Amino acid sequence: MDEQWIQSVGIDVGTSTTKMIVSRLRLGRMSSTFSLPRYQIVERQLLYASKVHTTPLHGFDEIDADAIGAILQKEYEQAQISLGDIKSGAVIITGETASKKNAQHILHLLAERSGDFVVATAGADLEGVLAGKGSGAERRSVAIQGTIVNVDIGGGTANAACFHRGKAIATVTFHVGGRLLRLGPQGEVQYVSPNIQAWLNAKGLSITVGEVLTYERIKDFSIQMARGMLDYLSGRERQVSGLLVLGQPLKENVSVDELSISGGVGQLMSAPTPETISDVSRYGDFGPMLAWALRQEREAGTYPMQWIDPEQTVRATVIGAGMQSTEISGSTVHIKAELLPIRNVPIVKLELTEGHLGDPQQLRREVSDVYDLALRLFEKTTGSPFALAISGITYCSYSLLQTIAEELSQQYRQKFAESRTMIVVCETDMAKALGQALALRCKGQPEIICIDQVRVEYGDYIDLGEPISGSIIPVIVKTLAFDEAPQKGV
Amino acid sequence: MERQLDFLVDKVLEQLEKKLGEMGSGSAKSQASGASHAGIAAAGEQTAAQEASNRQTANQPTGTEALASASAAAASTAFSQAHSGEGAGLNASTEPERISQVPNPKYREGMQELLASTPARIGVWRAGVRPLTKTMLQLRRDHAAAVDAVYGEVSEETLKEFSLFTVETKYDNTENYLKRPDMGRIINDEGVRLLEERCQKKPQVQIVVSDGLSASAVDANLRDVLPSLYDSLQSYGLSWGTPFFVKGGRVASMDHIGEILQPEVLVMLIGERPGLVTANSMSAYMCYRPRKGMVESERTVISNIHRQGTSPVEAGAHIGTILSKMLEQKASGVKLVL
Amino acid sequence: MNTKTTVLGQTYQFRNLKEIFAKANEEKSGDQLAGIAAQDSRERVAAKQVLADLTLADIRNNPMLPPEEDEVSRVIEEGINEKIYSEIKNWSVAELREYILSHQTGDSEIKRISRGLTSEMIAATAKLMSNLDLITAAAKIKNITHCNISIGQPGVLAARVQPNHPSDNVQGIKAALYEGLSYGIGDAVIGINPVIDTSDSVKDILEMTKDVMTKWSIPTQNCVLAHVTTQMRAIRQGAPADLMFQSLAGSEKGNRAFGIDVALLDEADDLMRKEGTSTGPNFWYFETGQGSELSSEAHFDIDQVTMEARCYGLARKYNPFIVNTVVGFIGPEYLYDSKQVIRAGLEDHYMGKLHGLPMGCDVCYTNHMKVDQNDMDNLGILLAAAGVNFVIGVAMADDVMLNYQSTSFHDIAAFREVLGLRPAPEFEKWLEKMGIMENGKLTPIAGDPTIFM
Repeated sequence: MDEQWIQSVGIDVGTSTTKMIVSRLRLGRMSSTFSLPRYQIVERQLLYASKVHTTPLHGFDEIDADAIGAILQKEYEQAQISLGDIKSGAVIITGETASKKNAQHILHLLAERSGDFVVATAGADLEGVLAGKGSGAERRSVAIQGTIVNVDIGGGTANAACFHRGKAIATVTFHVGGRLLRLGPQGEVQYVSPNIQAWLNAKGLSITVGEVLTYERIKDFSIQMARGMLDYLSGRERQVSGLLVLGQPLKENVSVDELSISGGVGQLMSAPTPETISDVSRYGDFGPMLAWALRQEREAGTYPMQWIDPEQTVRATVIGAGMQSTEISGSTVHIKAELLPIRNVPIVKLELTEGHLGDPQQLRREVSDVYDLALRLFEKTTGSPFALAISGITYCSYSLLQTIAEELSQQYRQKFAESRTMIVVCETDMAKALGQALALRCKGQPEIICIDQVRVEYGDYIDLGEPISGSIIPVIVKTLAFDEAPQKGV
Repeated sequence: MERQLDFLVDKVLEQLEKKLGEMGSGSAKSQASGASHAGIAAAGEQTAAQEASNRQTANQPTGTEALASASAAAASTAFSQAHSGEGAGLNASTEPERISQVPNPKYREGMQELLASTPARIGVWRAGVRPLTKTMLQLRRDHAAAVDAVYGEVSEETLKEFSLFTVETKYDNTENYLKRPDMGRIINDEGVRLLEERCQKKPQVQIVVSDGLSASAVDANLRDVLPSLYDSLQSYGLSWGTPFFVKGGRVASMDHIGEILQPEVLVMLIGERPGLVTANSMSAYMCYRPRKGMVESERTVISNIHRQGTSPVEAGAHIGTILSKMLEQKASGVKLVL
Repeated sequence: MNTKTTVLGQTYQFRNLKEIFAKANEEKSGDQLAGIAAQDSRERVAAKQVLADLTLADIRNNPMLPPEEDEVSRVIEEGINEKIYSEIKNWSVAELREYILSHQTGDSEIKRISRGLTSEMIAATAKLMSNLDLITAAAKIKNITHCNISIGQPGVLAARVQPNHPSDNVQGIKAALYEGLSYGIGDAVIGINPVIDTSDSVKDILEMTKDVMTKWSIPTQNCVLAHVTTQMRAIRQGAPADLMFQSLAGSEKGNRAFGIDVALLDEADDLMRKEGTSTGPNFWYFETGQGSELSSEAHFDIDQVTMEARCYGLARKYNPFIVNTVVGFIGPEYLYDSKQVIRAGLEDHYMGKLHGLPMGCDVCYTNHMKVDQNDMDNLGILLAAAGVNFVIGVAMADDVMLNYQSTSFHDIAAFREVLGLRPAPEFEKWLEKMGIMENGKLTPIAGDPTIFM
């Protein structure tokens, strides 16, 4: 097999809009005929992009699940895609939507209705990174020497991700977005997000539901909010502007050289200047004015950052989710096709040091500690309670392999006797040998799935897809570690 | 879930602290050990036409000729090169040289990025138009290791450990071995007698080990490749005959051995032509029903097996998979669908 | 045709032209492996003596590999200018040798006579030349070609930058490319030997090199040395290729082992005319090397010098931009030690030049040959003195993909400096613009690859 296509879907249910894309990813052989096989995703093609739908809501904080389902069904028909063809992808419920009452229910529903192997995921950090990939910021960072930040500004939040030399190095999320302030046609305030109250207070601003805002006041508010975010990103001032930050602050040592803005507000930045109050409120919120305020700052050039036009604006996140979320495993692995796909498996890391590798006693204790942690963390299951990610092995000799396999299998069978599938993820190319060594010991109890060349961290969850051409499996690593917002809300 | 997350956070913090502690004492070491060159070596044993065609990547119909190849592991070379502990004596390139010598690079961070992206000897700077002394000596040292590998012998210890007895080809001596590849393709009369006497006939799998162009490749990798291959054969429920060692062997000696022992499939683990990155690279040549007159395209090859290239244990496991597919499909080389 | 002579009291009778040609060669392990070499120095000199007196017509009328049986022979035959041939057909090989070396014969006289010579006649003269003869003769011949820029002018030594990577990692290739450019290397071609034989991978590398060329306005040409069919697929998918590459053998059978024939080369030639990205008119890059025919058992008992000359006869049909003899890559069974490698390098360069070809040489060796870097220094300087069009530049001479040693960026800078040679004029202007070179000398920033980041 020299090449193979897989279809991937991306769905983004945001605070104000919902969109969907279908893409196909091409796996190509990236090894010579005389080395171990290795495949990579060599091409990502966008096949279909839905129009931008208004997210259907019941009231202010409940997504209309059935209406979303109906939208998707129509889009699938239009795209001429059958659910069975979809092998990978991601559903993202972004921004404030994720903390709405029924987000979990929606995720579940969407995962069912959007193909056999589509994952449900959420989390502002991951969204920011995906938007940064979709907007082209990640790619651009390879070509420049400095750091580029892409801020995806939608209805409820602004997800910023910083990229340096092709790597995502930091993320931060702001309470900045069009829907935080909803307006009637005459400027009457219908809703102010409680999330910005602290910042409003600190700025000495007061906006209350029911009052009517003038064009000038909306303009002033927009400028303040735009500057708040830019102050924070440029490091000019972070005390007050920090009140706009949702979750973790930006890492200290990140300095930004270039900036691009995607998302719905990013798209509005190139719209004509809103001249009247009805121009401003034409989407029922202050989004057009926020976009205008950002454009003003860009043109004034008052921040020491170079503004870059993103390749994608309103669809950056959904394109990132649909086209950039899937990785593939190494091609020499140990799998049992009939056990796949397996979804939402939490990662537990076994980080080996030279000490562990040189001393079987130390290794035994470490494996025991890690397994005990997993016992406390995760419920017993006949499936896979967790996936064990092994790192720190630089060169694995046969004797080391035996020692590791012995410890891993013996203790696993003791402590997770009910589990029928053991999942191991190796960082380096050793999955086939380790899987074989484990399987020879376990003899089917449990079955072994051992893959490699996928990097995972504490707090990640992974989905393992059905094998493509026998031995390669699509993997989606979901980084939820820094994200607390969805849990809080649910 | 809240409670579970707390555990997780604690664990993360604990690990972080541990790491920070280690960084204080261990960073110098890890920097030094990250220095050895990673990469690959050419398959040693091939005809000149293959060599020439391989310069343009063997894509001709004959297909399987091995050559300097990338490896599946190449993606993780940065990782594998960092290992410092084991086998330093086996390796020509364990000394730290992966530091830029450019005195004032225009983009310092970029220099590190360049060095990390390739095992090529870049960022070496110059004295006038000539290399710096250290760089020149490094090159000479690596060349010395490569030459030694060609003229070296596989240690008795290695052969004993795997109970391999030795047969010889008609190669006679190393100079003749190099000049007359045809003689390395024929087992001498004594060797034929030994094979007939000591080997199981018509085995399902025949394993052969040979020094080829690098004796040290056998010493360096056999301990990891061979047992992993045995495990793999066991997993697939395959049986194997009496393994042995061929001194002065060329790849095509497989054909002569095939005539004598008539295995279903044969795998030969043989030392490759040494490169400067490593002198210890091994190839595995595999063939379904080897016999005289086999052409290159009927052999399947995995090359570049060494600690900085294709992982030896992983290669061993994968060779088992290939052999089982050969038995299934009754074919090898270009006709084999992997 | 006289096939008999006496040397030091012993009479030698040779069977045929093949035997005379083979035994007249300087000692090569490849001819010995083929079982066709002279037994000793005396027999060798006897063969040379017989060869010296053969006429050019003897050689043409007794084809070692008849055109009816071999398409390379046909290409060579069809290329002969009959008028010029008829003027010289009664010359002996000795006379031809002396004509070439004569003070009265200059570049244009040689170019004219070359049109009447078969590859075998050219090989015959090489067998009667010492190393210094080969240098002296070749130094007269200037074969200038143009792809995106011109190379081959008097006083110019160009170089291919060869930034190979063991897994075709595009960033890694770029890193070594930057290093090479920063030493003033890369005017002949930015040429990468790929590991992966897929058109995807070839296309990626072509696009990357083209991007670098565009970004820094580098006057040169790019090429990925995959099999011709893979390059054609990549080009049809839109990959930007300035040069088309292929390895050649000196017989039809040898070429089949490479997976090519004349029809395929014609097809690729046509594709390059239509879809190549370079200015032209020269857009081929060929590689050859003594011994490849023997290794694929396609030598028909003809010696490796003659077979090599026949590669040039085939190459001549396509007016290549560059031709490279990869002299020491093929192994000790063809060229055993430095003496044989140096000899072969000088022979190939001379024979190629006499064919009218823009000859370069990969001055190189593998680790199982009795050769080291000092020998490369020697051959490099000899070829630079002989006016070689280009040599190969690899970071510290160590190719981490092909696992052999060639000449380094430093070496090429030294050849230029010691012999007063310069990069190709357009490329040198660019080097000056980048601040890498001034008045033909490297500046203090030369050798810093990060200037391209």
